[in-house]
Amino acid sequence: MSASNLHKWATLPDPTAADLARAATGDVDAFKTIVERYQGMVYSVAYNVLGNHTDAEDAAQEAFLRCYRKLPQYRSEATFSTWLFRLALTASVDYQRRERRRPEPVEVPDLAGGQPELGDGITAGTLTAALHDLPDDYRVPTVLRDIYGLPYQEIADLTARPLGTVKVMVHRGRASLRLRLQAEREA
Amino acid sequence: MDCSYFCERLNQYVDGELGYLDVAELQGHLSFCPHCAAELAQLSELRGALAAWGEAELAPPPGFAERVAAAAALEAKPGEATLERVVHDVLDTLDETLGRIPLPGGRTIPVKNVLGYGIAATALLIQLERYLRRTRELKPS
Repeated sequence: MSASNLHKWATLPDPTAADLARAATGDVDAFKTIVERYQGMVYSVAYNVLGNHTDAEDAAQEAFLRCYRKLPQYRSEATFSTWLFRLALTASVDYQRRERRRPEPVEVPDLAGGQPELGDGITAGTLTAALHDLPDDYRVPTVLRDIYGLPYQEIADLTARPLGTVKVMVHRGRASLRLRLQAEREA
Repeated sequence: MDCSYFCERLNQYVDGELGYLDVAELQGHLSFCPHCAAELAQLSELRGALAAWGEAELAPPPGFAERVAAAAALEAKPGEATLERVVHDVLDTLDETLGRIPLPGGRTIPVKNVLGYGIAATALLIQLERYLRRTRELKPS
């Protein structure tokens, strides 16, 4: 995955070599330090893919546990955030394929940083609600493509769907989101 | 004017999937069609909003790191070889080494799955062949 797909996450400082080495030998306190540093990134990925807080927390926890198990295999060729970001994406998509999504009312997530500039008349609330209401089949590929910039082929591999189907789902997801945001604006 | 031909290509255009001749044709149309230009502007605005949303850091629920650490404490230590981990590691290594085979329609399948299905099918055929041979041998002549 190219660095451009990672947005600002690729710029997060890596954990110290000492923390990584201690966590890789099973030191839970050192691992917790890593979790505290990256929890915003992993939780954001899980929430955007899954669209609700309960599932996002489960998937984010699963991503960190995969990270814990695989720590001895981490090689510093990729930055730690790139490696963990990839684990978070895979864990979230696997979770979505495995579990039935729990119905949960839309709730605008708390933002750890400032409010992002989303454009004229688009707020975090309207965008979250529009994404929440998309069917899973449309939301997941659209999120992977337009929020995280994954190539279509990679989305097809991750979601185990044909390339053409993934493209159609993204196009329909975009169309639904545009209509929804336009309706919100006119309301 | 029927713009459906061009509207259908806007997604490919923003994804950078059109050839240069198609791009030139679409851009020519956009220069005099306010409807399609507005469609493109909306699509670009949506993609900009989604990309900006991807940069937002959402706050995990309170106590999340503590819960993850508690769950990690219940796990075997990272280096320890449990049966489940060995199986997972072997499967991951096979995936990374062997890659995926493209199928018609753009779907891909891991090579290790194809090998697994092949081995399972061969074992089934051998069993079937044994069963049929035994049935023939036991049949009174």
